Amino acid sequence: MKKTIILLILAAAMILPVYAGGSKEGAAYPSEPINIVVPSNAGGSTDATARQFGQIAKKYWPEANFVVVNIGGSGGLKGFDEIADAKPNGYNLGMLFTPQIVSHICSGLAHYNLDSFHYIGNIVEDPGIVVVPEKSDINTLDELKAAAKAKKLVATVNGIGSDDYIAAKSFEKIAGVEFNIMPTNGSTEQKAAILGGHVDVGFMNLSQMLANYRSGKVKIIAITTRKRSEMEKSIPTTKEQGYEFYMTATRGLVCQASVDKKITKALDDLLVKVLADPEFKELMEKQLISLAPMNSKEYREHLEELKAQTQVVYDAAPWGN
Amino acid sequence: MEIDFIAIILNLFRPENLLAVVIGSISGIVVGGIPGLTATMAVALLIPVTFSLSPITGLILMGGVYCGAMYGGSIPAILLFTPGTPAAAATALDGYPLSQQGHGGLALRVSVIASFTGGMVSAFLLLLVAQPLAAVSLKFGPAEYFLLALMGLAGVVSLAEEDLVKGLLSGFMGLLVAVIGTDLISGHLRYTMGVRDLYDGVSFMPALIGMFSVTQMMELTGLGSIVKGKVDLKTIKREKMPKGMGKFIAVGTAAGTVVGILPGEGATIAAFISYNFAKQMSKVRHMFGKGNPEGIAAAEAGNNGCVGGSLIPTLTLGIPGNSVAAALLGGLMIHGLIPGPELFTLHGTITYGFILSLFLANIVFLIIGLYFAPYFSKISLTPSAILIPAVSMFAVVGAYSMNNSVFDIWIMLIFAVIGLILGKTGFSTSAVVLGMILGPIAERGFAQALTISDGSASIFFGSTIAWILWGIIALLLFFPIINIIKKARTGKAIIEAEEIVE
Repeated sequence: MKKTIILLILAAAMILPVYAGGSKEGAAYPSEPINIVVPSNAGGSTDATARQFGQIAKKYWPEANFVVVNIGGSGGLKGFDEIADAKPNGYNLGMLFTPQIVSHICSGLAHYNLDSFHYIGNIVEDPGIVVVPEKSDINTLDELKAAAKAKKLVATVNGIGSDDYIAAKSFEKIAGVEFNIMPTNGSTEQKAAILGGHVDVGFMNLSQMLANYRSGKVKIIAITTRKRSEMEKSIPTTKEQGYEFYMTATRGLVCQASVDKKITKALDDLLVKVLADPEFKELMEKQLISLAPMNSKEYREHLEELKAQTQVVYDAAPWGN
Repeated sequence: MEIDFIAIILNLFRPENLLAVVIGSISGIVVGGIPGLTATMAVALLIPVTFSLSPITGLILMGGVYCGAMYGGSIPAILLFTPGTPAAAATALDGYPLSQQGHGGLALRVSVIASFTGGMVSAFLLLLVAQPLAAVSLKFGPAEYFLLALMGLAGVVSLAEEDLVKGLLSGFMGLLVAVIGTDLISGHLRYTMGVRDLYDGVSFMPALIGMFSVTQMMELTGLGSIVKGKVDLKTIKREKMPKGMGKFIAVGTAAGTVVGILPGEGATIAAFISYNFAKQMSKVRHMFGKGNPEGIAAAEAGNNGCVGGSLIPTLTLGIPGNSVAAALLGGLMIHGLIPGPELFTLHGTITYGFILSLFLANIVFLIIGLYFAPYFSKISLTPSAILIPAVSMFAVVGAYSMNNSVFDIWIMLIFAVIGLILGKTGFSTSAVVLGMILGPIAERGFAQALTISDGSASIFFGSTIAWILWGIIALLLFFPIINIIKKARTGKAIIEAEEIVE
C-alpha cells in the first residue's frame, strides 16, 4: 500500500506543473522557463492565444520554454495585479485583454495602472458586432433604432461593464433608445439566447458568431470598427451606418515596466517575428481570430484611448463601487 | 457528400489512433481522479500537443480524456468521499457508505458499468440524432433554465426527509453562500467584504473538498481504517453485481443526456437530478445515503450521459455544452474545423471518426474500471495513519490548483470546519452543496427571464417545456411530502400512545 501511495505522489508530481521563479545571475537570457500569466482560466480564447504564441515563439528562441500560468477570476483583476507585481526579471510575462484591463483602473479596484507595464505589443483583436436572430426583421442599425423606439427590445451582453455592455450603452446614447439589457456570464449563453430567438439583439464579438453567420443562422448587422474586417468583408461597419461608436477586444503581451531595456528589446523583436510568422497567421485565421499587430507605443495609445472612453461610461453608471 | 463509414472505422483502428484512445482514457481517469485537476485543464493543455498530430488523432486523444475524466472522478468519491470532479459529488453519497461497509469493490463496479452505459447511449444519440436534438436545446430559454434549477433544488427536500427543517435550512445555507460575489444583473458586489478573491463568489471545488473529504478525514481520525471490520480481496472479487440496476442506469442516462445537451449546464446538476429521480423510483428509498448502489448507478450514468449530450450543441452549433466541451471546441478550431452542418458533411470523416472514438474510450475505461476495481477498493483498508495525511495533502493541492490561489485553501479549511459542525448537529452537507451549485443558476435564469418579459412572471408558464418542467417538479415533491406527512402522523400517533400509557 505504501508503494501505491508513493507512486501516486510521484504521478501527481509529474502531472502538476512546477512553476520556477527567480533568475540566475549572469546566465544569458533566457536561461529559465518564461512564464506567461494568463488572467483567465485554461481553455478560453486568451489562453489559446498565449499557448500558441509560446508554441511559435519557440521556433525563434529554441532554448526558451514558455509556461502558461492561468490566474483566472474577478474579470482578470487578480491576474493583472499578479503580472504587475511579479519580479521584473524578464521571466514573468503576461497577457492583457481589453476592456477589463482599463475597467479595473476606472473602477478604482486595480493595484496597477497603465504605467506598471512595458508593452511588448498587441497580438490579436476580436471586433465587436451587433447581431440579431435569423428570423428577425431587423437588418440595419437604423432598423434596430426604429424597432427599439417602437417597443422595448431585449439586448444581451456579456456581463455588466464588459466591452459588449459599453458598446450597447454607446448605441443607446447615440440612437436615443433604451434596451432591456440582459447580462450573461459568457458568450455561450449569449449564443444560445440569440440562436434560440429568446432575445432581440446581441452585442458580442466577431469570433463568437462568425461560424453561425456564415452558415446563415444569425444576421450580423454591424461590426463596431472603423474599417471592415479582413475576416468577413460582407459586414458593414458602425461608421458606414452613421453610428460612431467603436469597440474591439484586443489581447496583447506585456512585462513589468522596470524590466531591463535589453530584455524588453529582445522580447519586442520576438513578438514582431511571431506576428509575421505564416504558421501563426494560419493558426489564428483557422480559429477566426484577427491579427492586430501593434507596437509598444501604439498599444499603449490604444489602451489610453479606451481608458478615457470607459471612464465616461463608469462616471455615468456608478455600479460596483 | 457520402460518408464512407468503413473507411472511417478502419482509420480509427490504426495503431496511432488506438494508442490515442488508450492514452487519452487512462490519463483522463487519472486527471478525473485527482481533485483539482480537471478535464478542462487537461484538454486545454493538450491542444498545443495536437498541433503536431493529425486532426483526428488529436481529437481522439481529447475525447478520451473527457470520457475518462468523467468516470475517474467517481473512484475517490466512492473510496474516500473525495469527489475528483464536482460531478462525482452525488456518487459519493452512496458510494462511500458502501466502502465503509466493505463493499467498495462492488460500488466501483456499479459505477463503471453505469458510466459506461451512460457514455455509450449518449454517444449513440450524438452519432444519430445530433441535429434535431440541438434544435430542441435552443428552445430552452432563461425561464426554462430557472425551472431546471428549481427541479434540481427539489432534491433538497428529498435529501432532507430525515429532518425536514434542518434539511431545508441546509439548502438555504447553500443558497446564501451562493449569493456571495458579483451580482450578474446589476454588477454590484455582494458580501465580498472587500476580499477580491470573493468577487467571483466562493469557489465551489475547494468548498466541496473541504466539506466532503476533509471533514471525512477528521471523522476518520478515531478509526483504524475506512472499513469497519475485516474484508479481504477475495471476498471483494467474489461480490456479485446487484440486480435491478437497469432502470436506474436508464433514468440516469436519460437525465444526463438531456441536461448535457443544454448549453452551459453541467454534469454535476445532471448527476444530482438523476440521483433524485432514482430515489423517487426506488423501492428501498430509505436506503439512499446509506449505501444504496441504485444511487451510484443513476448518478454515474447521469454524469457520463453528459459527455455525448454536451458535444451535440458543441459540434452542431458551436455552443459548448460545458467548459470541457468549450476547450474541445478550441481543439477543433485549431485544425480549421468550424462547428456547424459542414462538420458533418465536408469534414464528416474527421467528425464521425471522433464520435466513434468515444465508443472506444468508453470501452477502455470499462475494462480498466472492471479489472482494477478490487485493487482500488483496497485503499479503504489502508490504515488511517497513512491515509489521512495523503488525502489531506491531495486536498490542499487540489484546492490550490483549481485557480492557483492560496485563498482557496482557506476556503477549503473553513468549509471543512463548517462541514464537521453541520454533520455533528444533524444538518445535511449535501443539501448545502446542492444549494451552492444551483443557487447561481436559478438566480440567473430568474433575473434574465424577468428582463426578457419586462417583469412579468407569465414567462415561467409561457412554453410547453416550462409546463413539463413544472409537472416534473410537482412529481419530485409529491413523494417526499407524502412521506413526511406520513411520518409526522405516525410520530404523532406514537406520542399520543405514550401519553395514553402515562
